Amino acid sequence: MTRGLWDRETVALMLIAAYLPLAAMWLRYGGVAAALDFVAILLVLAGWQLVFLLVRAQAPSLSAIASALAIAMLMPEELGPLRVILGVSFGTVMGELVFGGWGRNVVHPATIALAFLGFGFPGFDWPDILLPAAWAAIPAGLIGVVAGIMPWPVIAGAVLIGAGGVALGFDLNAVLPAAALVLVLLVADPVTSAATTLGRWLNGLLYGFLVILFATGWNGAAPVQIAVSAALLATLAAPVLDEAAIALWRANRRRRHGKP
Amino acid sequence: MAQRSTFWSTLTEPLVRQNPVTLQILGICSALAVTTSLATALTMSASLTAVLTLAAGLISVIRNHIPGTIRLIVQIVIIASLVIVIDQILQAYFAEISRALSVYVGLITTNCLVLGRTEAYATHNPPGRSMVDALGNGLGYSLVLLVIGGVRELFGKGELMGQQVLPLVEQGGWFTPLSLMLLPPAAFFLLGLLVWAIRTVQPEQAEAPEHSPPLAREGEE
Repeated sequence: MTRGLWDRETVALMLIAAYLPLAAMWLRYGGVAAALDFVAILLVLAGWQLVFLLVRAQAPSLSAIASALAIAMLMPEELGPLRVILGVSFGTVMGELVFGGWGRNVVHPATIALAFLGFGFPGFDWPDILLPAAWAAIPAGLIGVVAGIMPWPVIAGAVLIGAGGVALGFDLNAVLPAAALVLVLLVADPVTSAATTLGRWLNGLLYGFLVILFATGWNGAAPVQIAVSAALLATLAAPVLDEAAIALWRANRRRRHGKP
Repeated sequence: MAQRSTFWSTLTEPLVRQNPVTLQILGICSALAVTTSLATALTMSASLTAVLTLAAGLISVIRNHIPGTIRLIVQIVIIASLVIVIDQILQAYFAEISRALSVYVGLITTNCLVLGRTEAYATHNPPGRSMVDALGNGLGYSLVLLVIGGVRELFGKGELMGQQVLPLVEQGGWFTPLSLMLLPPAAFFLLGLLVWAIRTVQPEQAEAPEHSPPLAREGEE
């Protein structure tokens, strides 16, 4: 039964289902303004998907809803429509659509859009993460892991190193809500996180490590900025981590069986 | 007449169709490094074009006397001498731009574009044609540098050649500088977009795909 059921859009739908607790909490506190942001970003994403559908015959994907939610929740405040359209266009075209659409991208379009908006317009403040929305990251992650669409070792690795950091006495209270939200929205993405089990553990550990490093050593950075930067670097490192995991597996195999 | 048309096509081919930067991806390290403003891009373009044209002429003149085993050393010596001359001229007359370009003028010596053209073309062709080819390649390089430098300066600072073009918000205008444009990643993705645009207009430049996606057969997933 599962064999015919799971295709790319099923994964996208399950991802959206996992984000529903987040979206509910965020809309509950953000109100109409937040909903309008989300709809505007979704329209931009849909427009680009339509362009690539017509020009390159790339099938559109419902994953745009998940990307739009991530961008709307995490983008810097009061940017104005022009800058948001520019950043979102850049993120979705260069981060996802040029690679052939969702499922073939190596970086999360929302991560790219957020990095573009954050580093391109440094004068704007990053948003404060509402605590209820941050708590909703826990059910979101649980749904994602139980449904099998979020890689559990990534989340486990990040939580493990976060707990270790708190136990060692690092002051992480300020960044934890943003880091949890970004972990669920950007890092534990089924497409752009690592694909091997060991690679996933390393991916999660790397993300957690970078968050702690930035939180303790980066003066004047906002929590969301720290988390998004860590997510960007962890995503970029994911293929290398996979490569390392596969090389290790091959070396083990050669040692056991004596064959290449 | 036939001779003239080959000269003309040797000169114009490298501008877009055989552009050294966007088709052969040569010389991009300097192309990315010096394009934060139009003035530095222009100076770098002029320096490289001058060095390339003169070096191609000199090497072509002595091409039959250079022993094959040491030809690269001879070429680099000639190019390096010309680069030193250009560098001294820049320091003497354009001190400020020379400081902005820092090491990149000196690095023209090792620019793969210069060595590539002298090695591939000037060592096999007479001086006149070599210099025309070198000039064409220099102009092709300059074209890319000026486009990227212009876009980066215009959107990064709202200026062109140091003149305010787009009115800034803090001076009562409407334009907020996109400071990302002045950071190194912007050069990479602008060059990528430029290559994409050129290859859309001229699809014969696109490389053949390295592998084709597997097609699902009938009756399988």
